[in-house]
Amino acid sequence: MHMANELLSVPVATGTVGIAAASLSLVCRKAKNVIDSDRLALMGVLGAFVFAAQMVNFQLPLMPGTSGHMVGAVLLAIILGPHAGAIVISSVIIVQCLIFQDGGLLALGCNIINMALVPSYIGYFIYRLIIKTGGRTHIAAMVACVIAIEAGAALVPVEAALSGVLVVPFFTFMITMLGVHLLIGLVEGIITVAVLGYLQQVRPDLALNPLPGKIRLSRKTAIVTLGVMAVIVGAGISLFASGLPDGLEWSYAERPGHPDFEPVVVNDDSTIAAVDAFQSKYSPLPDYSIRSRAPGQGGALPAQAARGWTSFAAVLGSAITMLLIWVTARVLRKRPVTTAIH
Amino acid sequence: MTKAIEIRNFSYHYPDGTTALSDITLSIEAGERVALIGPNGAGKSTVLLAMAGFIKGTGKISIEGLETSNRNLRKIRALIGSCLENPEDQLFMPTLFDDVAFGPLNMGLGSEQVKARVTEVLRTVGLERLADKAPHHLSAGQKRAAAIATVLSMSPRIITLDEPDGSLDPGNRNNLIKLLNSLTQTLIIATCNMNLAAALANRVILLDKGTVIADGDSSTIMGDRTLMADHGLESPTILYMKKQQ
Amino acid sequence: MHHAHIDKFSFGDSPIHRFDSRVKVLVTVVFTVLVISLARTSPAIVACYAVGPFTILVLARIPLRFVFKHILLVSPFVLVLALTCPLYDKTPVAVAFGPFSTEMSLGWLRCFTILAKFVVTMAALIALVSTTKFADLLAGLQKMHVPRLLIIQLGFLYRYIFILIDRIHRILRARAGRKLRNLGFKAELAVASAMVGSLLSRSIDNACNVNIAMQARGFDGKWRTISRLKMRRRDLFFAAASACFLAVMQFIALRLR
Repeated sequence: MHMANELLSVPVATGTVGIAAASLSLVCRKAKNVIDSDRLALMGVLGAFVFAAQMVNFQLPLMPGTSGHMVGAVLLAIILGPHAGAIVISSVIIVQCLIFQDGGLLALGCNIINMALVPSYIGYFIYRLIIKTGGRTHIAAMVACVIAIEAGAALVPVEAALSGVLVVPFFTFMITMLGVHLLIGLVEGIITVAVLGYLQQVRPDLALNPLPGKIRLSRKTAIVTLGVMAVIVGAGISLFASGLPDGLEWSYAERPGHPDFEPVVVNDDSTIAAVDAFQSKYSPLPDYSIRSRAPGQGGALPAQAARGWTSFAAVLGSAITMLLIWVTARVLRKRPVTTAIH
Repeated sequence: MTKAIEIRNFSYHYPDGTTALSDITLSIEAGERVALIGPNGAGKSTVLLAMAGFIKGTGKISIEGLETSNRNLRKIRALIGSCLENPEDQLFMPTLFDDVAFGPLNMGLGSEQVKARVTEVLRTVGLERLADKAPHHLSAGQKRAAAIATVLSMSPRIITLDEPDGSLDPGNRNNLIKLLNSLTQTLIIATCNMNLAAALANRVILLDKGTVIADGDSSTIMGDRTLMADHGLESPTILYMKKQQ
Repeated sequence: MHHAHIDKFSFGDSPIHRFDSRVKVLVTVVFTVLVISLARTSPAIVACYAVGPFTILVLARIPLRFVFKHILLVSPFVLVLALTCPLYDKTPVAVAFGPFSTEMSLGWLRCFTILAKFVVTMAALIALVSTTKFADLLAGLQKMHVPRLLIIQLGFLYRYIFILIDRIHRILRARAGRKLRNLGFKAELAVASAMVGSLLSRSIDNACNVNIAMQARGFDGKWRTISRLKMRRRDLFFAAASACFLAVMQFIALRLR
């Protein structure tokens, strides 16, 4: 699922963009050594193929009214190898963001990590692992798809939670994401297996021996990386699962309009204070936070009113400015509108 | 004098064993215009690919004296430009300019030289205003002209064209004929369209089932209705009309 | 056809179209960062930021109706996200807007802010993409040291998307023409897989031909391109003007705290 800008805070967005950019640079550098120049055209076309394949929808069995489509990350990793596969899917995500506005600019880092980097490498690793330990191709592909997609999906609530944007309780979000993507992963697996089977008949040279050079995924490195990732994700989950209040707690802690309302639940968890401090330090404008008001402060209303007029003025000013610009542009428009050739 | 193209006893089998070309022998002089005609599956495209060194078979192929071995590939590809059947496959860069510049840049020319060449070639094919356009914004006729431009910019001495008039309407086809007739390079055109062959070439090589059936003057061979019919072809209408006069 | 929709306006001609792609990308990114970092509960200031993309779109003669239709098309996920706020956060908050003063839940305020931010940042992104040819965008990114392999990949992808989308539309249409009833999940899946498989093998053949074309033009593994980007004075002027606008907006935002 493509994340939107609004699901992230600036520090997290910047961080993930940085991670994604660094990883992609590394992958590109590594891939240059294993991709023959012959494969460049194949990579490009397969990227377009993933795009087009994502338009093939079919009814999902358990969820009436919804349709699913394939993602293609694991398929590409199997055909092209994880490095080239990751580059191709990343390019698809970039184009989806820029040209289709699917996913925001700031969320590009997260989207690349969740839907390209993680599924490609995890999917490939698990596929190879199962094949090496004697499993059959279709089981390997199936399991790889499900795990790869679940892994990517699991990162979404983590990234959102790290941003402090979540209003929905963390666990609810996580369970929903994992549940929905289980179905998506299964469907993805079925289609991947089918396409691989088709490929084995039509172009066995591509399906059976997908790697132009040898990409040795050192088992130790892979396990260590997975381990580190698991620790981070796990730590993240435990940190926020206990710390974040849900909506209910918020609504009972303070009520500025009723100064003599005693807080029913006082949330003095140190984690929350730490998160608040972190956020107010790093966001240019701290949240409008009702936490900062202690119960009993009755001066809320006049301050509110003053603020209300400033907002009003700001919005009115913008509207007038835009109107002026529009009118001026129309007046200055001497020649007819030139649009592109269709 | 070294011939532009010399093929001697060239044979090629597909990976699954079927014969594609069988004992092909032909030679083409510099400046000639030759049409390779034959029914579908005769091997015309395969011959063109072999000439540009894309196919490894048995026998000898030399382009201007250079044998098509790995050592000479770079030089050969600068001498012989290949226009593929589908122009979309040749226009793979984001803009027309980049596509036409691709060849000269790979030949190692400097950017100023390349820019000059691109402008000149685009003017030759009549697309100079479309240099910044993306390929998918070009019409069918423009795409074909663009594909030829991408090859022309390398200043080849020989140009091969595979079914150049595919999906072109008569107007665009006439433009294509005009353009090709204005070129001075050695032209080898594979086509199923007898009228196109008659308009462009005075020599014709008839291929069927991977072998050379006939090689000679175009009106003689294409005028032989029995021969044409035997190989799934027909005589060009131009000849019909000439005979009726 | 889909592709007419995407590329529609990027080949137009206006002062905005002629600005260097690098400047436009940087301005868009900075703009998006600033808007997203605004307080989560004040839609008013977001409305002020809207002036930026609005001006660009008007000056570039991009029809606003097209922009809004497009934003609507990609909004479902954000709508769901935004609407969860009033569901989960019912803290009552007194809100004043000019002469009006009411009480609503904090959730609604957050909802409106999310939606406002979404519209404004999407408008900025659309403004960027409809005033910049993709080829120029790639050239700009290449100059900003994006890995070359990725640039090549993006170029090919962009080039062949249209062809493959047309192809899949044709396949889907052929399928629809032969579909008389709903065959159930298993059969549908089999058909979907067959369509995808057929598309894949044709794509691979396509790629082979492109590779032949590349080799025929002397490709030896080293990707060579000529960059035709040049930073002109007007690009610096645009950058400066944008910087001023954003600075003023930030100032107003601070005042609204």
